[in-house]
Amino acid sequence: MSGRRPARRAGVVGVTLATLLSHYRRHPGQLAMLLLGLWVAGALWSSVQAINATARDSYARAEALFETRLDRIERRDGTPLSPATYAALRRDGMAVSPLVAGELTLAGSAAGEAPLRLLGIDPLTLPGTSPLARRTGDAASLRDWLLPPHRLRAAPDVADAARRDPRLPPVEVDPGLPPATLVTDIGVAQRLLGLAGPTRLVIAPEAPAELPDALMRIPARQLASPGQLADSFHLNLTAMGLLALVVGLFIVHAALGLALEQRLGLLRTLRALGVPGRTLVVALGLELLTLGLVGAGLGILGGVLLARLLLPDVAASLASLYDSHVGTRLALPWHFWLGGVAIILGGLASAGAGLLWRVARLDVLALGHAQAWRARLGGLLRRQAWAGGALIMLAAGLGGWLWLTGDRQLVAGFVMVTAALLGVTLWLPAWLAGSWRLAARLGRRRALWAWALADLQLQLPRLQLPMMALLLALATNLGVSSMVGGFRLTFLDWLDQRLLADLYLHPEAERHDALQAWLADQPEVATLLPARHAEATLLDAAAQSAAPVALFGIRPAAVLRAHWPLRLPAAERDAAWQALAAGEVFVNEQLANRYRRRPGDTLTLRGADGRRHRLSIAAIYPDYGNPRPEVVMPVARLTRVFAAPPGSLGVVLRDAPGSRRQRLDALVTRLAARFGPATAESAIDQQALKADATRVFERTFAITRALDALTLGVAALALLTTLLAQAGTRRAQLAPLWALGVSRRRLVGVQCLQLTGTALGTALLALPLGLALAWALVAVINVAAFGWRLPLHLFPLQLLVTLGLAVLVAGLAALLPAWRLWRMPPRQLLQEFAAT
Amino acid sequence: MLQLTDVAKSYPTPQGPLFVLDGIDLHLAPGESLALMGESGSGKSTLLHLAAGLDVPDRGEIHFHERALSALDEPARADLRRRHLGLVFQQFHLVPSLAVIDNLTLQARLADREDPDWTDHLLERLGLTGLEQRYPEQLSGGQQQRLAIGRALAPRPDLLLADEPTGNLDEAAADRVLALLHELIHESRCALLMVTHSARVAAPLDRCLRLHYGRLEPGEP
Repeated sequence: MSGRRPARRAGVVGVTLATLLSHYRRHPGQLAMLLLGLWVAGALWSSVQAINATARDSYARAEALFETRLDRIERRDGTPLSPATYAALRRDGMAVSPLVAGELTLAGSAAGEAPLRLLGIDPLTLPGTSPLARRTGDAASLRDWLLPPHRLRAAPDVADAARRDPRLPPVEVDPGLPPATLVTDIGVAQRLLGLAGPTRLVIAPEAPAELPDALMRIPARQLASPGQLADSFHLNLTAMGLLALVVGLFIVHAALGLALEQRLGLLRTLRALGVPGRTLVVALGLELLTLGLVGAGLGILGGVLLARLLLPDVAASLASLYDSHVGTRLALPWHFWLGGVAIILGGLASAGAGLLWRVARLDVLALGHAQAWRARLGGLLRRQAWAGGALIMLAAGLGGWLWLTGDRQLVAGFVMVTAALLGVTLWLPAWLAGSWRLAARLGRRRALWAWALADLQLQLPRLQLPMMALLLALATNLGVSSMVGGFRLTFLDWLDQRLLADLYLHPEAERHDALQAWLADQPEVATLLPARHAEATLLDAAAQSAAPVALFGIRPAAVLRAHWPLRLPAAERDAAWQALAAGEVFVNEQLANRYRRRPGDTLTLRGADGRRHRLSIAAIYPDYGNPRPEVVMPVARLTRVFAAPPGSLGVVLRDAPGSRRQRLDALVTRLAARFGPATAESAIDQQALKADATRVFERTFAITRALDALTLGVAALALLTTLLAQAGTRRAQLAPLWALGVSRRRLVGVQCLQLTGTALGTALLALPLGLALAWALVAVINVAAFGWRLPLHLFPLQLLVTLGLAVLVAGLAALLPAWRLWRMPPRQLLQEFAAT
Repeated sequence: MLQLTDVAKSYPTPQGPLFVLDGIDLHLAPGESLALMGESGSGKSTLLHLAAGLDVPDRGEIHFHERALSALDEPARADLRRRHLGLVFQQFHLVPSLAVIDNLTLQARLADREDPDWTDHLLERLGLTGLEQRYPEQLSGGQQQRLAIGRALAPRPDLLLADEPTGNLDEAAADRVLALLHELIHESRCALLMVTHSARVAAPLDRCLRLHYGRLEPGEP
């Protein structure tokens, strides 16, 4: 801005804006704090949006793939289809098309790298409604497809790797394919996968087919991969991203407030020099816009980098939880970038609008007086407390309604949580001011104590925003930690109950019965737990709808009856097992919640053969991690009534001296000798299964934990940056005390105590809020989003950790300003004193 | 140039309105200098704020160059301040984040009246040459007040309104600043309305009036 010639003609707005911005040149810390707030808020929000956008892109591509638009025909016993079956169906006039699906590991893949999904199609018979059939529709491309060396279409993320595999035909990139998918001619696919015939047949949903009894038709709508539950997962992610955005905006709000308060004198001078109030507001608005655009750019860039880091974990979670395949490369549409800028600018506008409104309303003669500014702030705090109280009442009312009605609506749950978080946050300044007044009354005889508390009241306008951010972060940390900790306990306990067998075998169908008979004769085996799966359709008369449901057959042996978890009091469990044996069924919690069923209610199932079965529910059982509704009945009945193909065999070993591992190995060795290595290789040790399930669990919550930790980090940054930004003003307030004979050591101590005490007061309010949040997550949001309910576990240690975290965050934030004060030469303090 | 007619101003108090100015009539001709004296709380600063259009009277009229300030809205009053008035405060009110040169030219640039020759002249006369890139906090109290005077004169205003311009300075520094102020006022043919409680400060001015209990009386410096 400096320079004397020639005369500059920048207009009133330009000169005003340049003068306002010059403040940041002298206070770069405040500018850094503002941009940091925008950056973290934008980065966390954008990362979640980038992940969601990539997932949506993957779902859209998966839905566009022909598989999800065609009905599938498979054998009821699960065995592969023969070419003869296909030929017979075609001869009978059915428009079926053969399909090969399998997993292929590319040559040169790193160890542990996931195999790709290879699909082999016959373009001549594939129904024309399939997008893939349209792509191979012209004569030239059809010829290339059918004749050697054939063609292979690859999803963009795997095209390069596919080109390096010499076994594969020439590769064409197909952006329409879902991630990690290859499509080629059926003959090529059979050769690559070592198969003799098609794995399944597909048929257009509208095409008629009179199938023989051995085959069943699975409608296309049952095959859609990303369902309501995956959507809920993304909604949860969005909620976490929104929370991080709000916490980041607290920093922005604090920084803007500080920058404005420090420029009150400047605003007055500018008004006195002839800048109209409206021009001042316009210039401040332009300043906000400039900062917002820079912050949005930084935030979105940071978000994309963060999303790249988190995406593999999220993709793994979605694959293991919902069988939804999401690419591990970001796919960001144009509206992601525009939406990111809009939400960050919107957030900045919401943080800055109040300040602009106050500048516009304040009288020019009162503008420069911090007292007038603070007097208005006092009124604002009172209104804030009232609004907070009203929101807390709303949250309590919603909580009571959800509790009494037993209705678990996701939106109501989120509204309740948001109202509670916002309400308590708005109420925090009133809580802190009240606590300080009480403490001041108790210790009014001690001068330094009285000063420290009176000083805190003066600091409240500046401290309130970072403390609000800290409150939100602490409460979320406590709520989410309690939920995840409780989930872990319950899940591990449930695994112990469900995985009773020491060994699980998945033999080929033709060897199932022989293997079962052989195992029953082995001396190590105490109990055999055979299990089978089948599919049926649940007819819901109330909703006039039909939906797929999984059927699970178990053998209710004594060991299983003793451990199988049921949502029933202990005294009623025997009766429930007797009812199961007598023809009733158990249903999982997902089915009970989704279709509002209780023990004693009935279900109507339609089997694959079209017959209807009316079944009475004996009990409900928890079924964590399973997105599908499920019905349990004795395996014998499932085989008889629903023609369930052979499934797995669980082997429970006898209690005997010696190592369990050795006895298990001995049994598997004999099994390999008797039935061949393929059957033995299908054996899975219970401990390996548990380790696998626990790994999936940990990965599922990886992103939740990451966002949670980042939010807490953001709150700590908010506090630190506020303290640094106001360090100069604080020194001017502390200098007179120093001049009056309070040593620098004591001043540093008082400052640290003030801050940690305030953080502790904030944490005390965060405890009930965090517990309420944990309840809401466990009892409302999880039930609505995932379909299962968890018992609420309280961890006293977690409460202590929350208090400790508050003190740690405040202590760390206070460290740098305190150190600076400690190192300040007396001459500088003397100058501060002279200035006051 | 400046005409106040029957101007009154009150502030609300729990005991009812407190009149700080009542029936004020005042006239200031172009190039004339007038000292406004009075005790603390006599309403001197209030009168200055009204003349600057920073506040509005309860009663009466204020005309500047034949234009009634009451007929102007807030942006128009701001425009008048920017182009025709210069303000000097006791507390200087410099912009701490701007260098000396930018502080000096701030109002001139706002009024789109920056004149590099006049700026150079002011810098030299104010004794600030060589200090252009310093910040206000790096200047002495006298230098800061000289800079504030220069900022007010940079757009060549018709009227300079000064509120205790030497109140924060020691006697010697005050004398130097005042001498300079009078010289520059003459050079720029600008009128001056100065609020002060010091007879010594008021003495060199053309006229002197005294505010007493909200009313104007002829005064002696």
